[in-house]
Order: sequence, then structure tokens, then C-alpha cells
Amino acid sequence: MPASVRSDLEHIFRAAYPRVVGVAARVLGSRDEAEDVAQETFLSFGRTNVPAGEAVGWLCAAAAHTALNHLRSGRRRVSREEAASDRVEVSPDVAEAVVTKDEHQRVRAALSRLPRKQAVALVLRHSGLSYAEVAAALDLSPASVGTTVRRAESALREELNRHASSR
Amino acid sequence: MRHPGDGLLRRLLDEPDGVADSDRSHVDGCATCSSRLLAVSADAAEVESALRLDVDVDVDAAWASLVAAAGHESPRPVRQRRRLKRTPVIAVVGVLALLGGASAAAAGNWFQIFRTEQVTPITVPQADLVQLPELDEFGTMRVESRPRIRDVEDARTARETTGLASPRITNLPAGVTGQPRFLVGDKVLGVFTFDRAKAEKALGRPLPQPPAGLEATEFRLTAGPGLAAMWPSNSGAPALMIGRVVAPKGFSNGVPFDTARDYLLSLPGLPASLSGQLKAFTKEGGTLPLIVNANSETSFTTKVGKAPATVLSTEGGALSAVFWVEGGFINAVGGSLSTDEVLRVAREVRWAQ
Repeated sequence: MPASVRSDLEHIFRAAYPRVVGVAARVLGSRDEAEDVAQETFLSFGRTNVPAGEAVGWLCAAAAHTALNHLRSGRRRVSREEAASDRVEVSPDVAEAVVTKDEHQRVRAALSRLPRKQAVALVLRHSGLSYAEVAAALDLSPASVGTTVRRAESALREELNRHASSR
Repeated sequence: MRHPGDGLLRRLLDEPDGVADSDRSHVDGCATCSSRLLAVSADAAEVESALRLDVDVDVDAAWASLVAAAGHESPRPVRQRRRLKRTPVIAVVGVLALLGGASAAAAGNWFQIFRTEQVTPITVPQADLVQLPELDEFGTMRVESRPRIRDVEDARTARETTGLASPRITNLPAGVTGQPRFLVGDKVLGVFTFDRAKAEKALGRPLPQPPAGLEATEFRLTAGPGLAAMWPSNSGAPALMIGRVVAPKGFSNGVPFDTARDYLLSLPGLPASLSGQLKAFTKEGGTLPLIVNANSETSFTTKVGKAPATVLSTEGGALSAVFWVEGGFINAVGGSLSTDEVLRVAREVRWAQ
């Protein structure tokens, strides 16, 4: 490791890596992409002076933001891919896989349309962070975490149902 | 007892110990709340199922990969660099808007860094608008007084409440009828302090060293009071709205505007086109950025009287608005009208004390 990287990085990495991947995976729906995001997040973290006691919250919030950025920047690419795939005939034996992929894409697209704070709070909460940890990571009061998460869930469900009913 | 809010019901699912006993007993004994709790629970379960993805990771292999990446950081994939480019836009725009909006209770050691003299549209693509962090993720925003926008009985009350002149128009556009409602808002006072650690958290990456004193500087914003006359349409949306607000001013008790602006513009990831637009802002120019969504709004500049004016319209022209700064006020006319109509109203409106 370069000398500029913080000395406690390995210890924190080993303790927090699975959780950070889990956060990114919930946003991206892909283990490989989630691991890319986690690596990027830890590289950034290695150059900061964030206190060790705040590391998990920092890492999870940063992973959620970075993953959401990936998602949003990838949306246009996905749209282009979808437009291209519309022209390709799908064989029945891959139909199930296509349905699953479609479901994943709808969830991610809906997530990317949520206000940023709601999306991050939602993902952190569903990744197992406590209300106090989500509050600290997003600079919210613990009392308002429930409201933020609830709004996000309601909006996400609405988005998913709207999509489902328009199909 | 009042029914608790949805946020409390949501917490009851996850951390019942974090909810007061009185609220828990209320929910247990209240049919309405029990039913709401079921709905909250169903949404939470559905979202959990939609987001869930179990992943097994090989921590040793991942650590080896990180060590290798840390040793070879410079040749990052080009795709990643492009992706990271746009992240700080809204915060920069937000902070500039704030600086461009900041003003002082003319106290002590505060000095004026900005006074709005014109508004200018800044075009931001939808993709950038959606993915950008919010201002409060870059520091602390303390709102010391809020606008409390509210209806008042008539034009005279609006004038007396705000100390401002009210608009008068004799020739209403076609389709706009009846008497307007009057709305007033109080003066806003906010104080913003930049926080590097929060900004790094929001961006998920380290930032360049801020200029000395930036994090200790408070930027104060005041805007308002303001008033508006609004003619509703059948749908309830404003058919026409004419209003004015005392233009924002900025004060600092530390670093000057240019220093803060240059630092914000140096943050990694700002698109060159936007950065160029923002660099043109100087405190002397007093330009307040008006965020325009490139995908759904168009803008052009013209004049109302002698003042430069910015006209915005949504795609298809369903809604239009014109903004101009004159005599220390930002004036606006907007509604479900064409740009020609809002401009005509803007040029004909008279302000009566």
C-alpha cells in the first residue's frame, strides 16, 4: 500500500467489505458491479481521515451514492441496449431469464428516480444499518429516518406498480 | 391522542424499542393505526424483496485486488473517469446560488460579497440534475428564519405584511378571469458552512484541500420578503402569477466570494460546459444562477422595460415564466400561458404601494 493510505485500512476493509458490497448490490442488482463499487469506495476511504468509529457509516453511504451514480450513468446505456434487444427475437428457453432481468431493471430504474436522500436512506436501512447509523450517515435526526425510509418505500412501490400496470 | 405519523409506524417495524410506550400502546389499541401499520409493513416487505440480493464475497481476494489497485491508481479505466465527472454539479450550483443568495443581518464583521443584479439561466441536463447531491450534503445549512408562505385576505394586507408594492394589471390574458389570491412570504435568513468531510462522504471521494478559512467561514443568505397575486385555473394550478421578492444578497464573515467560487469550480468532476458558465459569475456582476433543465425547458433573454429579463418555458410551451431584476427586487410573471403572453403581462404590470 502507498504510504499515503491510512494504516487501519486493512482492518476496516476486512470487517466492513461484505457489508459495503451488500449496500452496492442492493442498488445495482449485480454482485460484480457491486464489488467494483466497493473497491472504488475503499480506495477513496483509504485517502481520508474519517475516524475509524465512523468508518462503516461513511463507507456504506459512499457506496450507496457511488452505486446510484453508476446506476444513473448506466441508464442511458441500458436504454440503448434495450432498444437494440427489441429488434432481436427472444427464444423461449431464455424467456425466464429475460423476465428476471426485466424485473431487476425496473427496480433499479425506479430506485434511480427517487430523491437522492430517500434512495440512500432506503438502501442503508435495508442493508441492516440501524436508525442511529442511517441518521449519522445522512445527517438526519433518528426520528426522521423512519419518515424518509417510509416515503422512499411508498414512492418505490408506486413506481413499481405504475410500471407493472402500464405493461 | 393524535395518530402517530407514518415514520413512527415504520420504525415500529424495525426498532420497536425506539418508539415511545405511549405510541406503541396507541397503535395496539387503534384500529386505524393497526391497519396503517399493515400497509406500511406490506410496502416494506415488498421493497425488501425487490432490493434483496444475497452475495458471497471472498474478502481475501478482494483485499488483494484493492492492494493491487492502490499501487496502480493512475491508469483508472476511462469509463470511470467519465462517469465521475458530473457528480458535484448541483452542489456547486447550489453553493453559488447560496453565495449569490447570501446576505446579512448587517451586523458586526459581516461584509457583503454579493448582491443580485440579474438572473441568468444555467442549463443542466436532466441526468446531472437527478444524480447530484443536495446542498446540505456539502455542509451545514442553518435556517434562522423561514418564509412561511401563506394566503392573505387582499392586496392591501399583502402590502402591509411585506412592505412591498403589489401588482396591478388591467388587461388579463385570455382565459384568466376573476379575482386573484394574494400570497406573502417572510424574509428568509440562512447560514451555510462548508464541511469537507460531509462533501467527501457525499461524493464518495477525497476532495482537494479547501482554501484556508473556508470551513470556518459562514455565508449568510437573506431573500425576501415577497408577495404574489395568483389567478387559479379550473385545475387549481396557477393560470397566472405575478410576484416579487426582495433580491438575495450574500455576506461572508471569512473568505471572499471569488475564493469560494474558484474552489468549488476546482472540485473533480465538473463538466467543462457548466464550469465555463459558472466561471463567468463575479460578485460585481451579481448574477443569480437559475437552474434550467436542458431536457424539458427552454430559455432566452430579452428586456422588460430597461431591465434584462430571462424567459423560461416548458417543452411544448404549456408553462412559461419571465424573471427580471429591478430596483433590488426579483420580479416574476408566470403561468399556463405562452412566452408572448407572460412578456406582455410583465411589461404592462404596475406596482402599487
